[in-house]
Amino acid sequence: MRRPSLRMVAIIVGATFAVLGAGAFLVAASGIYNVAASRPHFEITRVLLQFGLERSVATHSWLESSSKPALDDPDLIRLGAGHFVRGCAFCHGAPGEPRNLAAEHMQPTPPALSLAVTEWSNEELFWIVKHGLKYTGMPGWPSIERDDEVWAVVAFLRQLPNMSPAQYRELANGSAHTSDDEPIAECTRCHGGENAAPTSRLVPKLAGQSAAYLLHALEDYARDRRPSGIMQLLAVPLAAKDRQALAAYYANLKPQASQQKAADAARIERGRRIATEGIREETIPPCLACHSGRAAETFPRLSGQHAPYLAQQLRLFKEGLRAETPQGAIMTAIATRLDEAQISDVAAYFESRDPAEDARDTTPVQGAAQ
Amino acid sequence: MTVALRLALAASLIFALAGCNKIQSALSPQGAEGAQVATLFWIMTWVSAAILLGVMILAAIAIFGRERWRSPLRGEWIVIGGGIVFPSVLLSALLVAALLMIGAESSSRAGPASVRIAVVGEQWWWRVVYRTPDGRRVESANEIRIPAGERVAFELSAADVIHSLWVPTLAGKLDMIPGRENVLNVIANEPGVSRGQCAEYCGGAHALMSLYVVALERQEFDAWLQREAAPAPAPAADAAAGQKLFFAGGCGACHTIRGTEAAGTIGPDLTHLGGRMSLAAAVLPNDAAAIARWIRDNQHIKPDNKMPPYGMFTEAELKSLANYLAGLK
Repeated sequence: MRRPSLRMVAIIVGATFAVLGAGAFLVAASGIYNVAASRPHFEITRVLLQFGLERSVATHSWLESSSKPALDDPDLIRLGAGHFVRGCAFCHGAPGEPRNLAAEHMQPTPPALSLAVTEWSNEELFWIVKHGLKYTGMPGWPSIERDDEVWAVVAFLRQLPNMSPAQYRELANGSAHTSDDEPIAECTRCHGGENAAPTSRLVPKLAGQSAAYLLHALEDYARDRRPSGIMQLLAVPLAAKDRQALAAYYANLKPQASQQKAADAARIERGRRIATEGIREETIPPCLACHSGRAAETFPRLSGQHAPYLAQQLRLFKEGLRAETPQGAIMTAIATRLDEAQISDVAAYFESRDPAEDARDTTPVQGAAQ
Repeated sequence: MTVALRLALAASLIFALAGCNKIQSALSPQGAEGAQVATLFWIMTWVSAAILLGVMILAAIAIFGRERWRSPLRGEWIVIGGGIVFPSVLLSALLVAALLMIGAESSSRAGPASVRIAVVGEQWWWRVVYRTPDGRRVESANEIRIPAGERVAFELSAADVIHSLWVPTLAGKLDMIPGRENVLNVIANEPGVSRGQCAEYCGGAHALMSLYVVALERQEFDAWLQREAAPAPAPAADAAAGQKLFFAGGCGACHTIRGTEAAGTIGPDLTHLGGRMSLAAAVLPNDAAAIARWIRDNQHIKPDNKMPPYGMFTEAELKSLANYLAGLK
């Protein structure tokens, strides 16, 4: 037999593809394929899609690099829980709470996570929460830059399989029930309220901040100038009068001193020097020049604030994630001059500082020692 | 136009431009050391030109000359004489002349300076520290005032990286090195203004690190230093609001205004900001409008400089704040 020529092979292959392509187009154009969510996929389709999805998650989560925090940190878990209530439970349900009926009728049905999370590694969960899954209804994280928030959700998900409904409610709703007023109750869940501290040390205390600062923060979240998948979700739908009411509510509360066992004295002392004197050789100005009761109200007061929150925000400034706002641009320039040790030191100092000092602060604005 | 013609035109333009600039040109000296540098430059230039001309003539003869003129150039004497003896003698002579000239005025042999001023190079500005006759320390920035006709010693040092002070009309350049003090002696012949700049690459905004040196009559200088040593005047009625904004904005963390609580030492002392010729190390003219622009847009005007951009003020606040600062004379 004569060997087929290369040209012949090319023609046959080309024709096959053309026929297949035309066939696929005709199937799609005819509308025969049923996309109804009311019927499940064919088993073969489901298996193939599931296989592709699992492989895709495995490969891409392996390619993605993000420094993983300690996932058993209770503050991280509680932060994740606070978001889970509003961001995830609607579709996925939660311990003791079935998912929403509408979500039940999605195709594919969002999995109940208590079981599903056991099938994924930490990195895979991180990747799914961060990027979402196409054609499943699973959204990506609203602010893709905030890996730290995504990890908080992963930390919470890891606890989910063994969580009782009572534990879940405590984690999700906190202990503050200071107001039935809808937007305020929503804030107090995580941020606490009168006589109730925030549920997590990664969540800032708001009591006693100026209304001007709080209003700025809410507006910055709402207008996408301060990235946070957690806060933007909540701030965007707020009406202007709600934002004002919330700012006024927290501005009128008494600031709370830290209940935390003080960090080691040497660390606090190093932080105090940076906060009161700055470091001239490194062009780091003293924090208290702006973060005290004497400075503009649009600068936050930091005394008594949670150290992990402060440190995390300084890291975000340093990465340039908060440079979009005028105040943030100022802080960005300064935060880039702080190293990790200095960040921990100033955070520890401010946490240990009595908020009452902010109000009666008369420390003259000092320069670094000559 | 031929290429050669264009090049010639461009070259002459460079000289023409250099001629325009009287305040920052080594060719228009206004001080003792600057004059020596200029003299040395002209000696070198004319001698070089004469030698070049001689060589060109010899080359022309060698190529186009008649046999009678060319033959003497054939011997070895031209290589030994013109290539070894002549350069050795001439270069040695020029070296001796230069050494004598520089040595004659070197700081070691010169008399004591009547005024000593510490100048510290920082990224990207100049900290200038005077001492009053009664020993008080007076800090200013980005402008050095000196009495004319007197020997003034600039004590040069650096706070971060190596900088170099170069005021071409007054003196040659001298490096400012962290952890070391170099002394540059300067005599300005007449009252007048010179411009200088950092002559050692020192990071991002190096090209925008300049300063003015202002020579004054002795009496004027004394009166000026006395005013400069005094604390800032109390703000005028219309500037009180601006002063409040200065403190609310946390400006005192980095800047000192003597006579107020602002005692920051990271950035320039602003006690008498309004009395200086320029802003931001001779980058902007000094008036309220420029100050306002600087506060808000400084990262556009001088990228990478260490001051954060203050976009937080409203237009009215900015005006008020700038008005206060411009009034600090």
